[in-house]
Amino acid sequence: MTENVDREIYSAARVRALESLLIEKGIITGETVDKVIEFFEKDMGPFNGARIVARAWVDPDFKERLLADTPSAIAEMSFPRGMAGAEGENMAAVANTPDVHNLIVCTMCSCYPWPVLGLPPYWFKDPTFRARAIREPRKVLKEFGLDVSESVEVKVWDTSAQIRWFVLPERPEGTEGWTEEQLATIITPESMQGAARVVVPA
Amino acid sequence: MKLQHYIGGIEGLEPSSFEKKVFVQPWEERIFGIHVAMMGLSNHLEAVKSVPTKFSSFWTWGHLRQGAEGMNPFDYFKYRYYEKWLGGISGFFVESGYVTEEELSTKTEAYLANLNTPFPSGGEPTIDEQIMEYLRIGDSPACDVEAQPKFKVGDTVTVRNPPPVDHCKLPGYLRTKQGVVDEVYEGTYNYYFPTGDGVGDPMPIYNVVFNSHDIWESITEPNTKIYVQIFEGYLEDPE
Repeated sequence: MTENVDREIYSAARVRALESLLIEKGIITGETVDKVIEFFEKDMGPFNGARIVARAWVDPDFKERLLADTPSAIAEMSFPRGMAGAEGENMAAVANTPDVHNLIVCTMCSCYPWPVLGLPPYWFKDPTFRARAIREPRKVLKEFGLDVSESVEVKVWDTSAQIRWFVLPERPEGTEGWTEEQLATIITPESMQGAARVVVPA
Repeated sequence: MKLQHYIGGIEGLEPSSFEKKVFVQPWEERIFGIHVAMMGLSNHLEAVKSVPTKFSSFWTWGHLRQGAEGMNPFDYFKYRYYEKWLGGISGFFVESGYVTEEELSTKTEAYLANLNTPFPSGGEPTIDEQIMEYLRIGDSPACDVEAQPKFKVGDTVTVRNPPPVDHCKLPGYLRTKQGVVDEVYEGTYNYYFPTGDGVGDPMPIYNVVFNSHDIWESITEPNTKIYVQIFEGYLEDPE
């Protein structure tokens, strides 16, 4: 335990040392790292993806356009500038249906659609998930609390080139008549990577 | 072979963690921010030429991953995600002569004595403007170069098996396997630098679908398909 604490404190000190030196040497500024972090807290995060999914749930024509040409459909909505920016240059959505369940994985690294989902959570970056999801997706999903029967086709998308995928999850029952804003509050990053269903809070 | 290229499919592992945090330690966001800054200030970006940063290197995802793929493979699994970033990026700054190991060690000792010491302030605002502009514009691999795709939708293709290189864009489990072209992406795509195994120059990319059983035989699940985007350089006609 002590060894773990030491390891983290050492890394914390080492990264602060590096950042300080980069500022002193004129490579970055005293505000650079904070500005980058703020960008993912305020402008680009899973809150954008949630709005896109909610729109697709209430507007079938938008859903069709989103699946046919994801960047153009996203450009119809009002988002901060940069929805086709870093790690969003080539995004594509795939839809879950009663017959098909999609799961996104990046077996070699951690490619992730930043503008719609923000930064990847640890489960997505975990080598164990990356190793197993591609070969035994249902077993991994079951451990995550999601049962996908063998009668439902599973499509696993391994991000290994230009496309950054995200999943359009199924709209849960019990949300009839909800507004887009209400729907967006229940859509999680995990559901937009195919690792969870969207559920209505009890 | 390089183990880092063959992560997909490894057996005998524990259940995977469903940790939903992006950063599990507060320090991790600092190294993430530094990496983004380096990508936004990389010397291959035209806009960087007029930015008064002292950073003058070529730095992309490809460079970060080349470092991770160059690690001792057993060490690769010992360290957490951002620990590998911290090791790779601080190593790069030392090897490239931006900072010395002595400076870094001395400063680390100072922060170990007081982690809350504030960062230096100041710097040229146009540096940050460029980094934020990079985030909003991105760095697309799509090229203006035209090329006639060798394969069309429905074609059966075989994945090549080139010797391992420092950085590879081909998941190891696909080597020598056969799949079917599901989509031919419009246009051509380059990579940040030639990988030495057939990728780098502008070329078509295909979405290729594989039947899970064709890859894993009996150790996978029924009714499962694997979709992978593959550079044309990694594909050939079946024998």
